[in-house]
Amino acid sequence: MKLRSFTALLLILTLALGLTALAAQFDAAQTITVVSREEGSGTRGAFVELTGVLAKDAAGKEKDNTYSEAIISNGTNLVLTTVADNQAGIGYASLSSVMHNDTVKALKVEGVEASTENILNGTYKIARPFNVVTKGELTDELAIDFMAFVMSKEGQAIVSEDGLVSGATDETPSYEAANKSGSLTVGGSTSVAPVMELLAEAYMELNPEAKIEVQSTGSSAGVTGALDGTYGIGMASRLLKDSEVEKGAQPIVIGTDGIAVVVNLANPVEDITVEQVRQVFTGEVTTWDALSK
Amino acid sequence: MRGLFLASACVCIFAVGVICYFLFANGLPFFAEYSVWDFITGTEWAPTRGIFGILPMIVGSFLVTFGALLLGAPIGVLTAILMARFAAKPVVKIMKPAIALLAGIPSVVYGFFGLKLLVPFTRNTLGGNGLSMFVASILLAIMILPTIIQTSEAAINAVPNSYYEGSLAMGATHESSVFRAIVPAAKSGIVSGIVLGIGRAIGETTAILMVAGNQARMPTGILSGVRTLTVNVLLEMGYAADLHRESLIATGVVLFVIVMAINFLFSFINRRRVMQ
Repeated sequence: MKLRSFTALLLILTLALGLTALAAQFDAAQTITVVSREEGSGTRGAFVELTGVLAKDAAGKEKDNTYSEAIISNGTNLVLTTVADNQAGIGYASLSSVMHNDTVKALKVEGVEASTENILNGTYKIARPFNVVTKGELTDELAIDFMAFVMSKEGQAIVSEDGLVSGATDETPSYEAANKSGSLTVGGSTSVAPVMELLAEAYMELNPEAKIEVQSTGSSAGVTGALDGTYGIGMASRLLKDSEVEKGAQPIVIGTDGIAVVVNLANPVEDITVEQVRQVFTGEVTTWDALSK
Repeated sequence: MRGLFLASACVCIFAVGVICYFLFANGLPFFAEYSVWDFITGTEWAPTRGIFGILPMIVGSFLVTFGALLLGAPIGVLTAILMARFAAKPVVKIMKPAIALLAGIPSVVYGFFGLKLLVPFTRNTLGGNGLSMFVASILLAIMILPTIIQTSEAAINAVPNSYYEGSLAMGATHESSVFRAIVPAAKSGIVSGIVLGIGRAIGETTAILMVAGNQARMPTGILSGVRTLTVNVLLEMGYAADLHRESLIATGVVLFVIVMAINFLFSFINRRRVMQ
C-alpha cells in the first residue's frame, strides 16, 4: 500500500470522526437519561432518602427504587461530566461541587434556588450533613489537633467559602497552631474530599511538619475505614447507619451540604418539585415532556 | 546462574499461587451460605437485600468481549497481514510505533476518549444515551488491537519465506500466496494473539466503567448499558461488608475460572494441532 493512499485514508477517517456531536436543539420528547451514583455513595444514600426514592416495600423493608436503567457513575465528577455531555441528562451531586462548575445547571427545587443561604434558612429541601467519622474518641494527637482546626473559626471559614453551610457562630474559637508533626490519612466521601483537601492544605501550611493525605473512596468506605483503622479520620456525606454507630462510629458535623439536581445547560427546565424528582429517579416518568407542571 | 533463573521462575509461580489461594480462601466460604447455582444463574443483583445473582454481569462481560472480538480480531489480523506482507516500508515504519503507542495508553485515557468522543457520536447517530454495550465493545476492540496485531505480525513474519516463494513458483498470485500459504502456517500464533486479546478484554475495568452505563440488570440491547463482572467488583468493593464483600470475591473466583477455562481451551486446541 502506497504511502500517499495511506495518508489520504488517515485524513478522511480523522475528518469523519471529527464531525461528531454538533449541538442540536433540545428535544423535549427525548428519553430522560437518569444518572445516579453507586450504592455505597453517601450522596446517593442521602438523596434517595430525602426525595422518597427510598421507600418501604410490601414487606416493610426499605428499598432503593432507583430506576434500573439509570446510568451508574462512580464519583461526583463523573456524574457532572455525564450530564454536561448529554442534553437529556439529569443527575445529582453535592452543591459545593456544582457551585464551582459551569458545565451543568442546578435546578430550583419547588421554586427555591440551590444556595447556601437557602440551606441555612431551611427552605432548600435536599440537604445533608457532611460528617467526619471517628472510631470512638480520637487518641492520635495530630488527628485531635486537625479536628480542632476544622471546627475552629478559620477552618469553618474555609468550609463556608467552599459552598457548605457552616454551623460556626461568633463563639467558635480561633485556632492556635501548635506545630504538630506526624502523618494522618483522611478518607471517605468523594463529596467531602474537596473541602477536606482545602482544610488539609491550610492546616499543613500552619503545621509544616504534619502530613495529611486525603483519599476519595466513598462514604461507606470512609466509615469502614475509620472503624478498621485504615483511616485516622473518615468522611461521610450522609447520616450514619445504626449498624455503624453500634460498631463505635462517631460523627462530627463539619458542615451541611445541599444536593443539587443538575441538568444539561441546553435543557429549558428551570424548576422541579421533589415529587417530580422522585418520579424521574424511579423511572415513573421517562421523557422530558412528560414532566408536566 | 541456573539458580537465579530457578529463583525467578519460583517467584512467578509463588505469586500466582498466592493470588489463587487468596481468591479461593476468601471467595469459597461465600458458597457455604449462598448456592453456587443461584449465584451464577440469578438474574437479580440486589446486595443490600441479600440477593446475589451475577448472570446479568456474566452475560454483560461475554457480550462486550464478543463484540470486541468481532470488531478487533478481523481488523487486527488483517492489519498484521498488511504490515507483514503488503504495506510499503515507510508505511510500516509509521504504523509500528503507532500501534506500540496504542498499547501503552492507560485504560482511563481510553475511557475518557470513549466518554468524550464515542458516546456523543453514538448518541447522535444511533440513538439511546450513548453509554452502551456498543461503545464498550468498540473501545475494547481498540484496546486489544495492539496485542492481536503484534502477536499476529510476529507469527506471520516467522513463517519461512520459502512457503511464499514456493506458492509463487506454482503460479499463485501475491494475495493468494499470502492468504493460502503463509497465514494458515501462522495460525497458531494468530490464535494465541486473539486469546491474549480475550484475556485483556474480559479483565478490563476502568474504561468500561466510564462508557458502559453500569446498570445491574440483564442487557436489553446493543445500545443500552451493561455491567461487566469487573465493573461490578470495582463499583461495590469500596462499601461492601461481610457477605456482600465475600460475594464480590466470589465474582473474582468466577472471573478467574473463566480466564483459566479460555486458556485451557486454547492449549487443548493447540495440542490437537501439534499431534496432527
